Amino acid sequence: MAVPWVSDLTLLAAILATLLPLCSFLVVMLFTRSHPRISAGLSIGAMSVSLLCALFLLNEHWHMEKPLEYAGRWLVSGSIEIPFGFLLDPVSLLMLAVVAVIGFLIQIYSLGYMAGDPGISRYYAFMSLFLWAMMSLVVAPTLFQLYIFWELVGLSSYLLIGFWYEKFSASQAGKKAFIMTRAGDVAMFLGMLLILLHLGNLSILEIDSPALAARMSPRLLTLSALLIFGGIIGKSAQFPLMTWLPDAMQGPTPVSALLHSSTMVAAGVYLFERLFPFFFFSPDAMTFGLFIGTLSMLLASTMALVTRDIKEIWAYSTISQLGYMIMGLDAGAFFSGAFHLTTHAAFKALLFLCSGVLIHTFETNDIYELGRKGGRSLKVPMACCCIAAGALAGLPPLSGFFSKGLILEGLADLSNPVWLIAALFGAFLTAYYAFRPIFIILFPREASGEPEVHSATSTSKDHSAGHSSSHYWLMGWPLILLAGATLCLGFLKAPLEHFMGQTALPGVKGIGHPVWLLYTEIILAVGGVGLAWMEFGRRCAQQVGFVEKIPALHRLFAERWYLDHFYGWFVDRVIDRGVSALFTQNDHRVIDGSIDGISRGTVETGRLISHMHLGMVQYRLLAMFVVMVLLAFYFFF
Amino acid sequence: MKWMLFSPEIFYLLAALCFLLLSMTGRLHRRRDHHIALALAVAGVAVCVASLQLEGSLFSETYKIDLFSQVFKLLLSVGLALVVGICSELRGIQERYEHEVYLLLFPCTLATMLLVSSIHWLGVYVSLELSSYSLYILVALRKDWTQGIEAGLKYFLVGVFASAMMLFGMVILYGTTGTLDVKQLAQILPGLMSHAAVVVGLLLALSGFFFKLAVFPFHFWAADVYQGAAHQIAAYIATVSKVAAIAVLVRMVAMLGGSSDYFVHVLAVLSVVSMTVGNLAAIAQKDLKRLLAYSTVAHAGYVLIGILSMNPGGYAGAIFYAMAILVMKFTVFLVLVKVAWDGTNLEVDGLAGLHRRSPLLAMALMVALFSLAGLPPTVGFTGKFLIFTAAMERGHFALVLIAMINVVISLYYYLLMLRAAYLLEPQEQCSPLSLSAPIKLLAGALVVVMVAAGIFPRYLMDLARNAAQGLM
Repeated sequence: MAVPWVSDLTLLAAILATLLPLCSFLVVMLFTRSHPRISAGLSIGAMSVSLLCALFLLNEHWHMEKPLEYAGRWLVSGSIEIPFGFLLDPVSLLMLAVVAVIGFLIQIYSLGYMAGDPGISRYYAFMSLFLWAMMSLVVAPTLFQLYIFWELVGLSSYLLIGFWYEKFSASQAGKKAFIMTRAGDVAMFLGMLLILLHLGNLSILEIDSPALAARMSPRLLTLSALLIFGGIIGKSAQFPLMTWLPDAMQGPTPVSALLHSSTMVAAGVYLFERLFPFFFFSPDAMTFGLFIGTLSMLLASTMALVTRDIKEIWAYSTISQLGYMIMGLDAGAFFSGAFHLTTHAAFKALLFLCSGVLIHTFETNDIYELGRKGGRSLKVPMACCCIAAGALAGLPPLSGFFSKGLILEGLADLSNPVWLIAALFGAFLTAYYAFRPIFIILFPREASGEPEVHSATSTSKDHSAGHSSSHYWLMGWPLILLAGATLCLGFLKAPLEHFMGQTALPGVKGIGHPVWLLYTEIILAVGGVGLAWMEFGRRCAQQVGFVEKIPALHRLFAERWYLDHFYGWFVDRVIDRGVSALFTQNDHRVIDGSIDGISRGTVETGRLISHMHLGMVQYRLLAMFVVMVLLAFYFFF
Repeated sequence: MKWMLFSPEIFYLLAALCFLLLSMTGRLHRRRDHHIALALAVAGVAVCVASLQLEGSLFSETYKIDLFSQVFKLLLSVGLALVVGICSELRGIQERYEHEVYLLLFPCTLATMLLVSSIHWLGVYVSLELSSYSLYILVALRKDWTQGIEAGLKYFLVGVFASAMMLFGMVILYGTTGTLDVKQLAQILPGLMSHAAVVVGLLLALSGFFFKLAVFPFHFWAADVYQGAAHQIAAYIATVSKVAAIAVLVRMVAMLGGSSDYFVHVLAVLSVVSMTVGNLAAIAQKDLKRLLAYSTVAHAGYVLIGILSMNPGGYAGAIFYAMAILVMKFTVFLVLVKVAWDGTNLEVDGLAGLHRRSPLLAMALMVALFSLAGLPPTVGFTGKFLIFTAAMERGHFALVLIAMINVVISLYYYLLMLRAAYLLEPQEQCSPLSLSAPIKLLAGALVVVMVAAGIFPRYLMDLARNAAQGLM
């Protein structure tokens, strides 16, 4: 507080950055619903001011010595005090900037993508709500505030996906996404309560300080860390709560882009980053996390090998990349996870936005179909898509290469080599599945499709021309900017590392730099791309992947390791058929019986039925009595 | 000026008499009656606000007026005013009995007010019966009389059975301790907690409140009665009647149950079974009111967690939750009354297309459902948070875990309702719902209250905590 106006300006910027999207949400919902242009303008305007504030904050506090915390009283209950406010430190500032940048670009992109849609006001309103929730989550100083926005992020993504597309909502998938993430949140909430009871508050800085470890016994600490990790599993779609994410792909593509790059699923990893020292105190929880991350990474990679839906491929890749981040963090390499989160945000948003242009133009999600219809004719999106896929695959000198390299280095420091081997194998798979759709779209095989290509190309040109080319470029510019970011971010490694390392985090290891690892990484990435080229890109290639040649394996991967079947079976058998059926039966007997009986109308049957009813009541009264007697008897034991 | 302490009760008695006179005039003036009722109910709220700070005791120390009772009287009067607010068209009630609705609603509210202040078991018993008898009749006034009579009879039978148990328990208590005065009992009982007759008597005596709150195993009436009663009456039972039951249960457990492991265990069993039975049964329901009935059973289970924690935080949490239930449940019933404006029962799918027919009601429903499901930042979340924190402080980890799992299960059927309101297309074209300006205002205000009380709960929490402090 040496220079008051500086901190005041900081506070002002933080308030503006987080509150403006909320304001635009309210204004759009209340006043401008019937004016799509004004609504879009409002929310983009609000977002751009937020973006400026976020960048200003990042710039202003590039050299910060200790985290800034602003807090006001919110809730006091006995010895428990829960404030609300802002926590500004490198972790939150970087994430804030990432969310603002990606959100801003996606809103611009949506101008083109959603043009002409009747519900554009509602779309922008929900988008603002979503961004507000995420940005407020990022700057939350207490776990409690974080949890509130955590739920709001889930809620608004549900609104955004579910309320938009009837196709999605009509299916069970919307509920599935929501309930699965909620299941994880139950664990997180319990973990939060455990911490609250031992610490008396939920301040993130205090949870991260060693004081907590001193107050809680190691077993309790591990328990609460595992419970909170449960929330991360649900949010970041890790094993075993991973199957909702690919199903949530049916929403508009810009939403998917936002969901996958910097908001919804990233929130899980962000929480891990936020509480990194806390997790670090509990080696058991770290090992468990490493295991879950590795398993999710490998499972999702194999699923991505076989699917034909382009958005689903990127969805699986999100799960596996989040798995990488969790692995990196669990290995104790804090910066690697944070850096990969940042680079991933850029290239994953880019991948989705490029696919969005393709899907928008050709109206199909199938990669073979996209190739046949002439996906390669769209030069800018395809070029950007290649850059993003390269980053995903970890090809130098793209950003993904640097961040993934850091994670691998972190894993190499561990004594157990299993994790490193798994990660390297995953890197190979990643390169393969990232370039499989690219080659399939770029080099369509079927000869019969040739005339179709022409017609499709020409219609697409007409389409975009008729649709006005300004829309195309509205969608194009964000792509180019993101591609630029993907190219450059890798070289910002050193400054960012310096920035993140300023507020010293306890227990972060020094990272060694084995040279062989670098070469192995490059070789595996190039090998993966090469294999994809051999199978899909080459002139005489069959375009049949090696997995598809083994039917059993193919089925296993395509059916998502039968995880959904298991859940379906479980819910069906145990809950729907078992318990609920009992109640339904009861209803049929009692209610339908009574209505049937009454409709017969005559006094005689009426008397009969009412007699039966009194019978039912007798049994109920008996049940009441028995329960009370049993409870009374319990006293004697 | 001791009668001042009794002013809310006197006011409601006079209001009830006023309707008695009106009902004797013969011809039905629907609008006039509604306006008078609304004016009286709002005036009642004002009287309760004015008497919020009163303290004292009446009737040779058997009737206690403290912040706890006054807060609950305020809640009850607000609940009555809200319910009267949606009574403008009583299409679910037989026409010739429309007179009697207000005539019965006001004494019923009076009885619930007596209930929250009584600290003598006889007073408790009499006021409990008074409020129940009004409701038995109100339920039976349904237009479709077969439904109404059936529901009323079931309600009556279960209620009579429960009050018989309660009387039996009171007799045992009296036989073993020689007094029914709760204050005296509170001094005698701690030494007698290992005495079987005392404990069993107390347990049986509580069953009357379990019946009111629809806790397992006294929940059997809930679904049938909600379904059989007119919407407005069901709304009254779901809000005012529940709030009163929570109040009296909190007071009795706080004064008598303290420091007994046995009661903690019994309440925990009842709470777990209530939540689980309520939530699982609700999933299978098609009729909206049956679904709400089972959700009420589940919420009774959550409230019990706060009560059985037996610490100030738990009691404050239960009081806060009572306020939350009042607002949340009423909002859902408001939507129900307006959608099923002709007074017939509504299936869950009957909400289809609501967001087109009335965006405001759809939004109110959404916020209310999210609040019932305990999603932040709504008042339902804050209430659950307070209750669960209190329970964790007492180390009831398993209980909180079960409750949280139940909360997720409940999300399923709340989302079913939401899906119907927002995503399903109605089978035939439905015209937009026309709402009067006051109803629109009311719906908007309810939404604001649910969100604002979730984000800034401090005032309400302080109120709940202060009220709970007087109990100990």
